[in-house]
Amino acid sequence: MGNSIATAGYTFVVEESKEVSGEDLGLLQEKLLQLNWGVQHPASGPMRLKVWVDGDEVVKVDPDIGYVLRLLEKLVEYRTWINAIVNVERACFIDNFGTMTGYSIAAEKIAGVKVPKKADYIRTILCEGGRIVSHLIGLGSFVGVLGVHTPMQWALIAREKFLDAFEVYSGQRIATASIVPGGVRYEPTGKFIEKMVTAVDFLENEFIPRYGEVFIDNPTLKVRSVGVGKVSKERAIELGLAGPALRASGVSSDIRKDYPYAAYGELDFKVITKEEGDAYARYLVIWEELIESAKIIRQAIEGLPEGDYRTKFPVKVPAGEAYVNVEWARGCFGFHLISNGGTGPYRLKMRAPSFANLWAIPEMMKNVKLADVPVIFASLYMCHGDIDR
Amino acid sequence: MLEEIKEKVKEKFGFESEPYDTNILLVHGERNSLRELLKFLKEQGFKYPHTVSVVDYTPKGKGFQVNYLLENLELKKLVMVRVNLPENDLTVPSVHDIFPPLQPHEREAWEMFGVEFIGNPRLEVMLLPQWAEGWFPLRKSYDFKKHRKPSKEKK
Repeated sequence: MGNSIATAGYTFVVEESKEVSGEDLGLLQEKLLQLNWGVQHPASGPMRLKVWVDGDEVVKVDPDIGYVLRLLEKLVEYRTWINAIVNVERACFIDNFGTMTGYSIAAEKIAGVKVPKKADYIRTILCEGGRIVSHLIGLGSFVGVLGVHTPMQWALIAREKFLDAFEVYSGQRIATASIVPGGVRYEPTGKFIEKMVTAVDFLENEFIPRYGEVFIDNPTLKVRSVGVGKVSKERAIELGLAGPALRASGVSSDIRKDYPYAAYGELDFKVITKEEGDAYARYLVIWEELIESAKIIRQAIEGLPEGDYRTKFPVKVPAGEAYVNVEWARGCFGFHLISNGGTGPYRLKMRAPSFANLWAIPEMMKNVKLADVPVIFASLYMCHGDIDR
Repeated sequence: MLEEIKEKVKEKFGFESEPYDTNILLVHGERNSLRELLKFLKEQGFKYPHTVSVVDYTPKGKGFQVNYLLENLELKKLVMVRVNLPENDLTVPSVHDIFPPLQPHEREAWEMFGVEFIGNPRLEVMLLPQWAEGWFPLRKSYDFKKHRKPSKEKK
């Protein structure tokens, strides 16, 4: 057998310009190795981290992104005000409601349109549904990178129920295109509410107790994640972390609470924060937000008012601009929307939370062990569509 | 709180500001004292930078506009600092050492619009492929047809 890695034909990059293979592999022990973590790594998604290691210790990390760039900000300029939602929602398909809500609120602010109360409540229900769907995948994939794939399957079962509800509502399971400037696109039928209640029931009665028993206070999980990728409160702000990662470091920043939009101002919920700031704390924040979101959906369904679900949105919107932040599943999503009086957006800038989290990685991954790279990466809870846009 | 900032900025730098939204103050800054202004705002508690948003107003003859968005996480207020650039001089001092998270945002703005952030250590392509460097696709003058890949050659 001997040097099987050499016979298998692997090559390693020693410096950026120099490749080593075959008999020269012995040289590697004395040098910094550059490993490509991704694009084909099971946990990386469509991106690459260039990781320089000294033995088992990470010296430097540099993300290489752009694999799923679609230039959505440009595409939006060729659409009408209503049509643009199909580009906006594709920032990340997992939670598509949050982005559509943010864009719609920005467009309504410029046009001076007031949305009926019922539309606000349906937006809230859908946004929280999207958050649950996204958090379920976040939980599953976090344990997934540690090598256990059961929780992902459990999470997908719970997620299916919500996708069923979205399908009844809009006809689509993932890219629903259901929230437009001026309200929402469809009347929430009794069937939709029924499906949503079924999904929340399943989540609260089946998924949460079962998952919580096995995968939350789990000693093996804790060994791998407690104390890993620790970020203090001041450091988190300095690094510009967003969303659950910021809240896990003890910063109470939640757009739903701080600058209420849709119906969040009228509902009762709490902002989850943790003080520890490590990978395990970030995992727990996602978990507890999931429980909180289920409660919000129940409240919003109970308080669902009667009336119109949509008002007329003008074809031509007067010149103006608006900046709107929404609390998307993965953090604060900002929309800088500009109108020049035409039939569509003049410019849309999307501020993505995953982009902010990604560029905190080079600082966070200094001097960690190579095995902790996937753990920190998954705990930051990023979406690639969102990074590249 | 934003009224206070408005007066302080007016007194210290002479910049006009106006309310942009309920919780957002818009400061009309200038690039020469941009770094001092952002440093001052950071001292005032606006420690969390959101993004750098560039708008291309060249079809209207107004050049480019660079917007910096900063948040005060304790008092829950936002400030937007706006700098206008003439079309023939797209340079603005980088603020990556004051707000390190803005460094990749500046990098993105550079590759998409060609606004040069002087002092930014890493103005290289990030999202675009290497061969598309210098295309500046988010500019209004970008021509899709010119860069479209030719479909299959005609026989």
